[in-house]
Formats: sequence, C-alpha cells, structure tokens
Amino acid sequence: MFETVSIFAFLATFVGIVVHWVATPAGGSRCVVRGAVHTLSLLLIEQKSSLLGALKKLVYLLAVLCFLVLAITGFYPVLVKGEHISGFLMMIHATFAPVFALCMAILAVTWAGGHRFTAEDCPWMSRLLRRVTRLHVAPDDRPWRCSLVLYKAAFWCLLFLMLPLILSIVISMFHLLGTPWQHTTLALHRWISMVFVIVAVIHTYLAIRLRMANVI
Amino acid sequence: MPLVAAEEAAKLLGDESDGSRAHSIHLIPLFAENDTGEKGPRIDPNDEQAMPFSTRWTCGECHSYGTISRGWHFNAADSNAPAGRPGEPWLYFNSKLGVQLPLSYRDWPGMHRPGQVGLTPPEFTKIFGRHMPGGGPGQVTPTDTKEIAEQYVSGKLEVNCLACHNAHPGQDQGSPTGYAIQVTKMNFRWAAAASSEFAGVTGSVADAGPTYDPFMPDEGETKAPRVTYDKKAFDAKGNVFMQIVREAPKQRCYFCHSDLFSGENGEKLEKWCSDEDVHMMAGLTCVDCHRNGLGHNIVRGYDGEAADSDNPLAAATSCRGCHLGDENGKRPTGGRLGAPVPEHKGIPAVHFERLTCTACHSGPYPGDQPVLAKTSRAHRLGTINVNKDVRVMPHILAPVFARQAVTDANSSPKIGPHKLLWPAYWGTLDDQGGIKPVELATVTEVVGAVLKDVPVPATGDWSELKEEQIAKALKALDGSGQKKPVYVTGGMVYELNDDGTVAGRTDHPAAEPYLWPLAHNVRPAGQSLGVGKCTVCHSTKSPFFFGSVGVDSPIVSVSNGTRTQYEFQRAPYGRTWAFAMSFIFRPWFKVVAIGSSAVIGIVLLLFGLKALGAVARVLAEQDK
Repeated sequence: MFETVSIFAFLATFVGIVVHWVATPAGGSRCVVRGAVHTLSLLLIEQKSSLLGALKKLVYLLAVLCFLVLAITGFYPVLVKGEHISGFLMMIHATFAPVFALCMAILAVTWAGGHRFTAEDCPWMSRLLRRVTRLHVAPDDRPWRCSLVLYKAAFWCLLFLMLPLILSIVISMFHLLGTPWQHTTLALHRWISMVFVIVAVIHTYLAIRLRMANVI
Repeated sequence: MPLVAAEEAAKLLGDESDGSRAHSIHLIPLFAENDTGEKGPRIDPNDEQAMPFSTRWTCGECHSYGTISRGWHFNAADSNAPAGRPGEPWLYFNSKLGVQLPLSYRDWPGMHRPGQVGLTPPEFTKIFGRHMPGGGPGQVTPTDTKEIAEQYVSGKLEVNCLACHNAHPGQDQGSPTGYAIQVTKMNFRWAAAASSEFAGVTGSVADAGPTYDPFMPDEGETKAPRVTYDKKAFDAKGNVFMQIVREAPKQRCYFCHSDLFSGENGEKLEKWCSDEDVHMMAGLTCVDCHRNGLGHNIVRGYDGEAADSDNPLAAATSCRGCHLGDENGKRPTGGRLGAPVPEHKGIPAVHFERLTCTACHSGPYPGDQPVLAKTSRAHRLGTINVNKDVRVMPHILAPVFARQAVTDANSSPKIGPHKLLWPAYWGTLDDQGGIKPVELATVTEVVGAVLKDVPVPATGDWSELKEEQIAKALKALDGSGQKKPVYVTGGMVYELNDDGTVAGRTDHPAAEPYLWPLAHNVRPAGQSLGVGKCTVCHSTKSPFFFGSVGVDSPIVSVSNGTRTQYEFQRAPYGRTWAFAMSFIFRPWFKVVAIGSSAVIGIVLLLFGLKALGAVARVLAEQDK
C-alpha cells in the first residue's frame, strides 16, 4: 500500500507543479536551457553578501544535497526494488540523516524569523477577522500573496515534520520499544518521510518562483 | 462399504485417543513373528526356545504399525517421503583412511546416499542402527537372494516402540547387552526385546553357525542369539505390564539427541558444566513441542515446515508459533504452554526478517571460532567404549551462522546457527565434472593398503596425511580401475597430475561443507545475542560476522586454513565490515539527531508561543 500511495503522491506532486508552472509562469527566460541555468543560479549563488547569508545558503545547499541522498536511498529500494533498505544504501542513509537533521536545525534557527507570518501575507485574514469578530483590525485591501504564504507554511510544515521523522527512527534505536512499536515507528517514519518529500519539493519550487519574482 | 467407513472400521483400539489424558495401562500379551513374517505364537517365558517379541505384532495388536512406520523417524528410506529441511546426517568416518562422510537416505543437498558408497540397507543399519528407533532401512525387504537369506536369520529391525515410549528406567538402549549392541551384532530381531527391562539376549547372529535357523535352532547353537524373559514380569495370564507412556520422556529422546560442546579454547567440557535447554528447565519435555499423532509425523519445529508436513500443528508449533502466535489471527495464540511473549525492546524489526529465532537464542554462545560438537548419533554417545577425547572424530563445528536452506518457496532464507562438517572422502570425477564417492569397501582395501603404516592417534583425531601419501593412494585407486580418482577434504579437491604429484583446487561444490541447523540448547533470554548492546554482533570483531571457522582435514596444510562466518551468510566483506564500523559512530549520530530535534522543537515552541502572543494581542484589542 505504501508503495502505491507513494508513487501516486509523488506523481501528483510533480504533475501539479508542472501544470502550475505552465499555467502561471513566474517570468524569466522561456528558453529551457537558459531558464534552467537561471533557476539553478537562484539556488546556488548567494544573493546577499553577508557572511551569515553565505553560511545560510551553504547550509541550505547541504540540506538539499542530504535531502536528495536520503530520498533516493530511502525510496529507491522500497519503490523500485520492492524491498527494505539495507546494505550500503542503509549505511549512506544513516550517515546523511544526522547531517540533514543538523542542517535543518540550523535552518530552523536562522530562517524561522524570516518565515514568520505577517499581516501583509494574508490581507483576507484581516478582512475575515473584522467581519467575523468585529475586532479593531486595520483594513487591508492589498492582494493576497498566495505563493509566499504557502512557501512559509511549507517551511513550518517541514520543521514540524522533522520532529517525528527524526524521533521515530532514533527512539527505535533505544531499548524502549518492543516489536509492535518498532513496526509502528518504522511505518511512521516511512509515511512522514513521504509527506516530507512532497512538502520539501513544494517548498523548493515555491522558493524558486518567489526568487524569480524577487519576492524573497 | 464406503471408503471412509472402511477406514473407520480398520482403526485399532489404540489408534485414536478417547480424550483421557491419563496413561493407558498396557498389561498385554507378547507375540513373536513367525518364519513367514506373520504374527507368530504368544510368548511363553517358560519356553526354552522362546523367540523375541515383535513390536509389529505385539504393539500392532492395538496400534496401526504400518501407519506409524511411515512417520518421520522411520521413513528415511522411503523415497516418497518429503526430505524437509536438511538435518543431521549419519557420519561415516575412518581417521586412518581420511574419510569423514555425511550419509543419508534423505534427499538433502550435499548428502551422499548409502548405496553410493556400497552400503546396503542392512549394512547401513548395522553401523548406524544403534541410534535408530528401528524401521527405515532396518526393515527394507531386500531383493538379493543372499540378503534375503541373511534377513531371514537376522530379522528386520522393526520400529522399536519401547525406544521412545517405555518409561521404565530399565529401558536399555546403550548397555553392553542393550539395543545398540544387538544392532551392531546384526541381532535385529532381538534388539527391541533386549532393550526391554524384562528380557535379556545373549549370543549373536554373526557368531551363529552357517546352518542356524532362528525358528528351529539346534540345541548345540550356543553362540546363536537367545532371549530369556523375566518370568516375574508375566502375570498369571501370561500378560506383561509395560510402562508405556504416550508422551515420550525426555531421557528417551536424549539417547539419540544429546549434544556436548567443547570449551571456547577447544578444552574438554563435562556434561555437568553445561546447562540444559531452558525449555526443559521450565518443565517442558521434548514432545510438548515436537508433537505427533498416530502417523508419527513429528513436528520438527522450523519455519515453513507446513509445506513439507501433513502434521496440522507444523505451522503453529515452532518458536514463533508458541511465543508469538499468529499475530494477525482472529484469536490470540501466542504464549502457548506458558511461553513468555517476547517484547524484543530496541531490536529493529529487520532482525526478525533476516534471522531465525535460534540465531540469537540457541546453541553455545559464539566465541572467536566455533567449538567442536559431539552428538549422540555421530559420536555414539550413550553406548559402550566411547572415546571421550575432545578431538575424537567426526569433527563437527558449531555454531556456524549460515544462511539456511529453504524448502518452502514462501520462506526467505534466514541466517541461523548451524553445525558444520567438512566432508572428506575418496571419489571419482565423472565426465560432467561431478564427484562420486568410491565404495567404502574399495577404499578400505586399496587406500587402506597404501596408508597401512599411518599411525592412528589415541585421541581418535585424524591421522595426519601428507600430499605424497594422497598421491600414492590416488595412484592405487587409479590402478584399481577407478577412473579419475580424487580426494576431497577441507573444501579442496585433490587430483593427480601427469607427473604423479597432486594438485588441489577449491572451486568444486562437492567439497563444500555440509551444514545443518541447530536449534538446541535454547539459552535463557538473558544470554541471547544482542542483549544490552548492538555491538555484540555489529562490530568488526564480532564472532557472528567475523568469527573464523576452522577448516577440518587430515592434511595439515589444509586444516590450517580458515573461513569467516560472513562467507556462510553470503554477505560481502566490504559491506559487512563497513556496516560494523558504522556502529562506532552510531552513538554520535543519535546525539546529533536528538540535539537537532531539540533545537527544532524549541524553535517551533518559541515561534508557536509568539504566534499565540500575536493572537492574544489581537483578541485583547476587543477589550479596549
């Protein structure tokens, strides 16, 4: 079941992104090669000159690398070979996992402030609150920046998912859980990782779009 | 009459239990077999020429002997019987001739059939029947005239019901006049009677005169077998009270199924130094798990056995069946017989997919290398004149953690502890490259002549052979008409070169060791592998993966070699080593992962509180 759901979920995510990209182009070059180079440069080249900015970008790139390695080593044996992760793939997975966790912790600390939801993110929320609660909320008629809100939501979602993702596998390494719970934590790890991958892909996609639109 | 009704009608008194768990009283008459193989006269203890009682006709009065004799302990010679998972072979050995050969009638990979080495069923029975409960090759009807005549005298080695079901302490399997020695003397017909507490047998078929007829013995035949019954055992009606129990006592099983392991450094260990199986100490007996009905198709207790066995309990009576039960079943079945249901805290579930239960729980605790094991059947334990030296042949090593052979397509080949034997024998290379063993009689004659001056150590260990002696023996075999003779030992195949020397090669499957799973003794949970820490197995020095398995051979240069445990698990060295190494860093991985989780958790909490504060501020506006 997990294999089937995963494949459908991943396909739906990628198809959705492609459709969204085509339906609502973010601007930039229409040439595929130039567009790809431009997109890559948005992620690879530091746009700000501060040391902290560079470190943040490096940590982010390391996190992306770890994410790719973890996703491939984790899902390849399950989805392609139909077996559990083992052998060298297991060792690679287990080696990159703590690095990824550390990167995510650093990103959580350094990016959290920038990903706070503000009143400007959701003007419709002010209007809704005014209408429903009669609160003294200042009127805001600016348009809603949907991509930015989703981008921030995806970030917080990733952080939120990281906790059970890490703990589900780390706890099973201690002498705490019996066999049924070992199965449960392993299943939890798999399902959360599937959701995590989808959210991470969406977050990255939105990051690229927002950078192309100079929103972030 | 409908078939089912006919079968019902054919059921004998003792074929089916009425449900009472009490023991049935067996105050019964004894019957002998007559000269045509049919039911003979009732035994009269006062008859000077009394025949030995026949279990077939005595026990068979109330229990369907034919059905019983198709059971697991008796059906090895039946080519239609499923071979099941590889088990312990019969080991023919001769240290002076450099022979250590696994034999069985069962079709197990790596096994040689007795007929391949020229052993007829009676000959095979004479050598190994000492630890057989009768039946099997012991009651095969020969076709050869000479063998028919011999069997007329010796009789068949019938299923000896008493070997398992006699609860009397006088049941004599191994004493100088007991069952084992009678079998060795070819007194097959007398063996069961000799084993009972109320009969004694003297003389032997081998010593009897050439005209000896057991049904009409001459009074002058003083060396022929003769049975004497204890008259006090018979009541006024001529019946004998036999202490027969349905559930075989463990001491009966132990006669054929005892193990003795040497110490970690090869030192001799006494029986009292080692603990009994934890199940025995908990009050169970062997047959609480190894159960059978009338068909005597006893549960062997391995995963996947249900595919080989028609025993309805085969699927449920295993380690998993009792301790875990059917976890997906409609009703709880775990914890049978009071078995503790294990929690296996901290053991990742993958272990249960890759390992047998016995891998962590059974056999001697693994050391740097497997120890020498003795078994009842291989080392004649419990019989007379047993060489008690630790190095006595045959050399069985245990535990070797190997991937199991599977008999069921639905079962995965798990890793479990095994006993291992390096076959050593003289053979011939056929045109297809296969190796067949030379008949033992030829080896004894031809190779024995070449190696006649080789000293035999008192320890019962190998006689040391040199390559030059192997070359001479191979030449002698070549000269005796054996085409392309070879000598197999320690994983090597020795062939003659054109210049008369020998060359060894290691790539022939016929030289591979024979392994069979071991399941007992089960250690207490506190002595399982992995208790307390993962590095018991997951380290670069763990016996489980990196223990060295000695190569056994009479040739010193070969026996100096070793293999490593992971080779028997079909695991590559690099991956196994790297995985073991990763456990050095694993504690740090845990620290980093938990620390990162803590940081992320604090960030989420902090910004969650901030968000809550923002909401609170907005709501507070309403009060102004």
